[in-house]
Amino acid sequence: MMFDGFFIAGIVITLLAAVICVVAAILKHGPNDITILSLAAVELFLLVYAVAGIIRQASGENVAGEAWEFWGYLITALLVPVAAFWWSITDRSRWSNLVLGAAAVTVFVMLVRMEQIWDGPIVV
Amino acid sequence: MNTGREQQQVQRGQDTNEVARRATGFGRLLVAVYGVFALSATARAGYQIATKFDEAPVAYLLSAFAAVVYILATITLAKSGIRSYWLSVAAVGIELLGVVAVGLLSLLDPELLPQDTVWSGFGKGYGYVPLLLPVVGLWWLWLHRPAAGQKPAEDRP
Repeated sequence: MMFDGFFIAGIVITLLAAVICVVAAILKHGPNDITILSLAAVELFLLVYAVAGIIRQASGENVAGEAWEFWGYLITALLVPVAAFWWSITDRSRWSNLVLGAAAVTVFVMLVRMEQIWDGPIVV
Repeated sequence: MNTGREQQQVQRGQDTNEVARRATGFGRLLVAVYGVFALSATARAGYQIATKFDEAPVAYLLSAFAAVVYILATITLAKSGIRSYWLSVAAVGIELLGVVAVGLLSLLDPELLPQDTVWSGFGKGYGYVPLLLPVVGLWWLWLHRPAAGQKPAEDRP
């Protein structure tokens, strides 16, 4: 199979956000503009991915797996950065950056599943 | 009929002690990871039960049970009251027993649970995090144990 561009963009953005948040935590920073914006970028990507998904499906592109499962993952993934932001902002310790990082990793794993559902099993 | 108010007072009185502080610092991360597991276990159990319950009812009911335990652990770890503290000890303890029991079971008698659950093989499908999580959780709860003899009734101002 071919990796589609959305998947590549998604893994780059989520892994970059995870690295930024973990490094900030190691440097003993609390959540700041950079880490919060990195997670905001993940959320923005998911929104673009969702809109593109609607357009792709509406224009007749086939989903290899179950479409409802794909959308279940995507809607849940959209909630993850929001929940992590809400949960981390009330405690401004360095651990909160790891919460943001964990959210980015979670979205990454969910993107891999979404890619598998959309394009079929990933063969390396 | 005043249990709600009592509960509120109990929680307010505890804001400065160890029990209340367990949802700060590293505790934030712990709750977040539990939250992720609560989410994925619930979604997985819901999917299994909705689409193929007849294939392996025992395994899928176990998945649902694990999901409930993760949800309970997430909520009670995040809340500050002393009742929540003991509920979280119970939930995390059950989680540890569950992952060890199911792990041993899947090792000794693979026929019994043919379909994977979150706890199969000591959670190896999830990078052994399900085995690690309750150990870390109990350690964290031990660090934030209530002072000797601390009971809900004694916390009221």
